[in-house]
Amino acid sequence: MVNLENQIFSSYKRNPVLFDEIFDKNGQVKDVYSKLFTLYGEHSIKDYVNLNEKAKSSFFNQGITFQVYDKKKTEEKIFPFDLFPRIIPPEEWNIIESGAIQRSRALNLFLWDIYHDKKIIRQGIVPMDLISSSANYLDQMNKVDPPGGIYNHISGTDIIKHTDGQYYVLEDNIRCPSGVSYVICNRTALKRALFGVFNHYKTYSVTNYAENLLDLLETVKPKGVDIPNVVVITPGMFNSAFYEHSYLAKTMGVELVEGRDLFVENDFVYMKTIQGPQKVDVIYRRIDDAFIDPLEFKPDSSLGVPGLFAAYKKGNVTLANAPGTGVADDKAVYTYMPEIIRYYLNEEPILNNVHTYHCSRPKELKYVLEHIETLVIKPVDEAGGYGISIGNRLSKKEIEVVKAQILLNPRKYVAQPIMSLSVHPTYIDKTESFEQRHVDLRTFTVLGKDKEFVLKGGLTRVALKRGNLIVNSSQGGGSKDTWVLKT
Amino acid sequence: MPLEYFITYKAENTYEEPVHEAYWQFLVIPEENESQQFIGIDFNSSINPKFEFSINGYGFKTIRVHMKQKFEQIAFEARFRLIKKEINPFDFTPEADKSKSIEKIQGLNFKVDYEAFLKTTPYTYIPYTKNILFEFDWGNSIFDNLIALNSYTYRYIQFNTKATDVHTTLNEVLDIHQGVCQDFTHLFCALARTNGIPARYVSGYLHQGNGYFGDLQMHAWAEAYIPYAGWIGFDPTNDILAATNHIKVAHGKDYSDCSPLKGVVYTSGKNQTVHSVQVNSQDQQ
Repeated sequence: MVNLENQIFSSYKRNPVLFDEIFDKNGQVKDVYSKLFTLYGEHSIKDYVNLNEKAKSSFFNQGITFQVYDKKKTEEKIFPFDLFPRIIPPEEWNIIESGAIQRSRALNLFLWDIYHDKKIIRQGIVPMDLISSSANYLDQMNKVDPPGGIYNHISGTDIIKHTDGQYYVLEDNIRCPSGVSYVICNRTALKRALFGVFNHYKTYSVTNYAENLLDLLETVKPKGVDIPNVVVITPGMFNSAFYEHSYLAKTMGVELVEGRDLFVENDFVYMKTIQGPQKVDVIYRRIDDAFIDPLEFKPDSSLGVPGLFAAYKKGNVTLANAPGTGVADDKAVYTYMPEIIRYYLNEEPILNNVHTYHCSRPKELKYVLEHIETLVIKPVDEAGGYGISIGNRLSKKEIEVVKAQILLNPRKYVAQPIMSLSVHPTYIDKTESFEQRHVDLRTFTVLGKDKEFVLKGGLTRVALKRGNLIVNSSQGGGSKDTWVLKT
Repeated sequence: MPLEYFITYKAENTYEEPVHEAYWQFLVIPEENESQQFIGIDFNSSINPKFEFSINGYGFKTIRVHMKQKFEQIAFEARFRLIKKEINPFDFTPEADKSKSIEKIQGLNFKVDYEAFLKTTPYTYIPYTKNILFEFDWGNSIFDNLIALNSYTYRYIQFNTKATDVHTTLNEVLDIHQGVCQDFTHLFCALARTNGIPARYVSGYLHQGNGYFGDLQMHAWAEAYIPYAGWIGFDPTNDILAATNHIKVAHGKDYSDCSPLKGVVYTSGKNQTVHSVQVNSQDQQ
């Protein structure tokens, strides 16, 4: 037991094996959290329960919800929000920010290369497999120069802190990373509930995301366009991230459209309006590649715009992120990130990569099969935490099933040592107390032409089940407001 | 002697329920290349909507139609005129040194350059156990091996327009041993690729004058890349090399890259499309 003097933490159980973000090894509150710890301690757990309920209903009332896909049903849920914020001290943030920019820049150069000369493959630094057996590599993007030279305008980098206190990147999400609207809503909700705590800390604002995004999207406008007309395209209100799509459009002050609101004529894109057609120059698309143009990709897609890809290829419209960017989102590419950073930037990676075993390589496959209980097995082409097996949580029978799955298609799987995510005190409804829960951090990086922006904050995701390591919202995770402190 | 070709492509679409809006994209215009000189195009439809030209993701010219008024039936007709130079498919520098060609196709740079036409696709996928259906004899030249593969494919599948449709994958064709030009071409491409030779699916028109299979529809054949020679056309449906009678429209990894007509039609009912093709020729004076 620690900190008996602080009543809301009176029953906090600290597992000394885990890296706690607030308490050091001896159970002392870290400096950066000490003021917050005292401030929260002034409340009783009952106050806390009330505030928590209020915050929850405010999310519901604002419609800040997402949908969970299941084979049987889809369900609308709020993203559980925790009132105790996570604090990132300036010296740690500097590492995260410069590391996230470095990765995004390197991935952009990688994408340019694999859609042009493919030097990194010719020089044997990454295998050809990364493109030839990737479902996300678009042959149609070969030799296409995206406006401003940018492919991955928006990246979501998932970062964890391991027991060694070091940050590691788990994933680079560069298809349509979502979650940024929660960052901003979490801040608003916390301010509403406990405004006073902000007076004691100099925290960077997160509400400037939309203006920076718009600003950077305007730097990659098509040639010959003066003031670009930007829109956000959504698959529609049934998409799990629809709230975010509408939020981003609203805060950027641009139109939110669906495929049927746009049409293509003579390879230019227009929006239908009551004043007649209006030309569109930059599209922030929240629709996957396969669905953007039924005449070029999936023919039965009703989400996209017929002829959009031809307009893009002609350079008449910018798509963010660029088609074909998803190939670098493949988990197999992740495993080559250190090499990719060194190759294009001639720099050492700032953020660590988790060591990865490729089941496509016979030697590594053998290791994986023999050490499955110490590893996390991931399919290379799934998002949202689907299909992940954690070795030490599997029964003997389940291990055999996973082994058989891997052997059936080794290329589909990679394995990594089980990383222990750091833990953070999190309010748990059921026990009406604070408990340790694993957290990660999704940062948001925007690349423009010769400019970049990292949102000073991010989405701290919490695995709400005790001991669970998977934090994705679709797997029942929650989130915290995340403070980046000014120096 | 060059030939002048007159090609007519027709598509008739009938819909059970009225259509309120529709887009179509035609990939039917003969390609302009070394042996094909394009003279003219004439495009019409029964309802007379506007049409425009565009370029698809693989760089081929398309005709695109956006129909905004209500209809239940629509017919399109495209007429092309072009001059085709006489082609002698054997007219390339033979592989002087077989081992040099083989060395070339094994190199990483070659595999990167022709990556798109070496990989398998959903249409051309064959199970691992069937990769051995046709193995090259590396004692012979690549060209001779491809000639043998062309004949092998011709014998493997029996021509039958009723057995398959445009959605049939190669894996199914391997079981029934029947199909049309699309299926022959997929098999040829798949087996060339498993032997390390880049192969691409070609769609186009076949001049029927000499009694070849082609069925008054668009035709399909393959092109394989031979080092130091370039892309050579093989027509496995007829066990011949592609020559003056073959008028190329487009190429791709498989049928899905070359489908002549793609449509997005906003309607609730079923639809039916009937295509027809006519190719006439005349000696150039």
